Amino acid sequence: MLAAARKVIYVLYTIALMAFTIWYANFIYPIIFAHSDSKHEEQLEEQKAGKTEEELMFEKFLKEQKKTATTDLGYMVIKEQYVKGHFHHVGMTIEPDIGNVCIKCHGAVPHDKAKAIRAFLNMHAFYLACEVCHIPPPQGQPNWDFRWYDKKTGQVIANPPGLVTTEIDKYGNYGAKIAPGVDENGIFHFINGKKERDFVDEYLKKKDLLGETEQSKMKKVIHRKVAEKPMLCDKCHTDKGEPYLPFAELGYPPRRISALTSTEVVGMVEKYKKFYIPKFLLQEEKGAGEKGGEGQSDDLKKGVPAGI
Amino acid sequence: MKYPRIAYRNGKRYFYRFSLVQRIQHIILFTTVILLSLTGFPLRYYDQPWAEPLYNFFGGIEVAPWIHRITGSVLLGLFVFHTGYWIYLFFKNRIGRLRREKRLTVGNAIREFFSQEMIPNAKDGRDLIDMFKYLLYFSNRPPRYDRMSWKEKFDYFAPYWGIPILGPAGVALWFRDEITHYVPGIVLNAFYIMHTDEALLAALFLFFVHWYNVHYSPEKFPLGTVFLTGYLSESDMIHEHYAEYVKIMKEEGLEHEIKPQH
Amino acid sequence: MKNMILLLGLALLATVGGVGEEVFAADELNCVLCHKYRGLSRVDKEGNFRLFYINEKMFKKSPHSRLKCIDCHSDIDEIPHKPAKKVDCTKECHLEEPSSNEKFSHKPVSEILDRSVHSKYDENGNLKEMAGKYPEDYPHCKDCHDNPLYRPLSFFKGEAAGISRRGLSRCKTCHTKGEFAETFYAHVTSRLQKMRSPKEIVGICAKCHGDPGFQERHELDAVVTSYQETFHGKAVHFGSEEAPDCIDCHVVSGESVHFIEGRESPTSAIAEGNVATTCRTAECHADAGENIAGFQVHVTYDKEKYPLQHYMLKFFTALMAGVLYFFVVIIFLELLRRLFPNFSFVKSSGTDEHGH
Repeated sequence: MLAAARKVIYVLYTIALMAFTIWYANFIYPIIFAHSDSKHEEQLEEQKAGKTEEELMFEKFLKEQKKTATTDLGYMVIKEQYVKGHFHHVGMTIEPDIGNVCIKCHGAVPHDKAKAIRAFLNMHAFYLACEVCHIPPPQGQPNWDFRWYDKKTGQVIANPPGLVTTEIDKYGNYGAKIAPGVDENGIFHFINGKKERDFVDEYLKKKDLLGETEQSKMKKVIHRKVAEKPMLCDKCHTDKGEPYLPFAELGYPPRRISALTSTEVVGMVEKYKKFYIPKFLLQEEKGAGEKGGEGQSDDLKKGVPAGI
Repeated sequence: MKYPRIAYRNGKRYFYRFSLVQRIQHIILFTTVILLSLTGFPLRYYDQPWAEPLYNFFGGIEVAPWIHRITGSVLLGLFVFHTGYWIYLFFKNRIGRLRREKRLTVGNAIREFFSQEMIPNAKDGRDLIDMFKYLLYFSNRPPRYDRMSWKEKFDYFAPYWGIPILGPAGVALWFRDEITHYVPGIVLNAFYIMHTDEALLAALFLFFVHWYNVHYSPEKFPLGTVFLTGYLSESDMIHEHYAEYVKIMKEEGLEHEIKPQH
Repeated sequence: MKNMILLLGLALLATVGGVGEEVFAADELNCVLCHKYRGLSRVDKEGNFRLFYINEKMFKKSPHSRLKCIDCHSDIDEIPHKPAKKVDCTKECHLEEPSSNEKFSHKPVSEILDRSVHSKYDENGNLKEMAGKYPEDYPHCKDCHDNPLYRPLSFFKGEAAGISRRGLSRCKTCHTKGEFAETFYAHVTSRLQKMRSPKEIVGICAKCHGDPGFQERHELDAVVTSYQETFHGKAVHFGSEEAPDCIDCHVVSGESVHFIEGRESPTSAIAEGNVATTCRTAECHADAGENIAGFQVHVTYDKEKYPLQHYMLKFFTALMAGVLYFFVVIIFLELLRRLFPNFSFVKSSGTDEHGH
């Protein structure tokens, strides 16, 4: 009995060792025959083989793409977001947001038209989901329930501690965003959660199966919750009454809240109330998007900063 | 020190292979080789993910090169010692005997040299053919190796070829400034390739072939102990050195107890 | 006028409403009122992601920290401002260079660059043919430089990275005001070593010289990969500050690091007659012989250019493959034989004394 078991183990071990031998033969092949020269030529060949300018550029970018830049000062090493051609050090990293459905098409830095404030709007997009300003609660309904989600997972998380500590690489860039949701029978879900993300992915994959009419109808229905007129700055940055976002509940310490509703900010935002609306959201009778949303002033169109 | 050719432990026979001095030499050899590999290969494969942690473990670029140079020096010292040891044994045992027997001629000395257990001979060629016949199923009789099989001779001469290539090249790269007074700079390029490529061959060989022969093979796994005890068990002896086994058993008057080869 | 009032107004507001961060000394115009926001960004017309956030703590570590924003971004004359122009690094700035009392400028650096191999123009001032075809292959300031950061050194009790607090305390006995002593200390000691680690320098050169397309356009070797295969490259990879990076060998000792010349130029550090001198500087291979010039650094295994390496590689490849695969095959067969120990095509003659 014992002898038989021994025999089985012996055979199994021998077979395993044969497998190892084959693995080793494979393992040493590239080690023996690799040398940098042919690697380099292959690279060059691969890089050029009948590719269009777009393809070459895409590949170049993919290869060049690095997430972080490292500066070694000897006594400390700074790892920060790599931004091509950027001169000033930012000393922080920017996590890509996979939790947001809108940026799949619109990008993470979507605001471009209102020249005077576009950079500010994009700044808000660092920590506010698009829905916060662009999807108001349906009329007659109570306000949304706002929570933070992790940019990397899209999951609800606790209020980021960076709000309080204002540590250097987190303040204003928490790796998380505020998004609206609803609390249904004690279960919270975002109005644009995983279900919506998956649906849009599916739509983007298969939309070419649809005709023009169907595609544009789909676009409308996907955007049906989006308000023509976004939430304006003074909804939150107000020194009168309750701000639209419940700052305290979202983890902002009193010092930050008073700054957000201070004269510095409130005074500034009062000057900017003009916004552009994506063209396909507009009612047809209002015409093309260039003419913009209501109340779009002339100087904005000419690129002159408003309010001065 | 006198070693009995057959030792008994728990009623089992063990056959003498290596003296204490030889075992200590082997321990120094593998310790230095392992240390040299661990402090050398992170440089060769600097772009592999394991390279940096391993190198930092040995103190990084400030310290690891010195560990490498010191262990390399020890290994070179061992090489010189072993060569001296070999020459000493040869003169003491072989030439001394010839002298006592008053047969000391150049021809006899050369014959004695080639009859040493580590020197390849015609039997190795026959064993190799026997081995291939056996491995390719043209015979069911495994080769019957003497005290040292051709594999062991190969293992032995691998460092004897490797160290003279690796060592001087390593020393030259260490004293690169001084050496450029005497040799053209391109010699350093050649040394660089010699040093790293020969090291790679040695490491790949030792890790797989040598360790297979002494540790991984199904009869030995997980650990062949001859490098510690100096004695080989009877079953290993039958498996690996059948001709030697039969010879010793006969010489020790144990002819009736000789076991079959398999 | 209206602008000025608004500007002043904003500056006033800022003093009231600060977010509790330290106030930025050089920022007279309070640009960080807005530029302190980390996400301040947009995508410009060319599609570049532009981040307008200014990290004051990092900026303070740089030699530019004593400048005001508008010293460089001088076209900004109103707030909020229009897209600012690209900064011209060669303009005179408001700082005076203390030894000459002249207005400080990076213009001399740019002039040196114009004499180097990286210039778009040849020695007669004509646009090089390649520069006409591929202008983006020729570097400007920002292609190699981001905002430099001080890398101070402490020599106080042994060498260490960073500012020696004990050393600094001596400065501060007299130079009490503001951060002068600190900045001066950092400024001077940073210059006693490289402002950027060798690894970063290699990375900067590799931006262009590591690109196979670039190498092909300019008929250059893959110098970055061949450098990385040298001991120098490996030591730098593992964080050595002593091993040479690109600049150490390609700039004549004592010249500006911006003055890199091609091999053809007789004054270059790597011109045929100059290599030994370049290697044998006091910091490097001081004791080496003249023959060190014969050591080949940027080695490939190209048959024509590096026949020695080519044939040695062939030899060792053959040796390795021969030895290792010979034994791999034998070991495999031995293992297989163990599974069928008694099988044989040829029945043994049976006259074996101790076998079966």
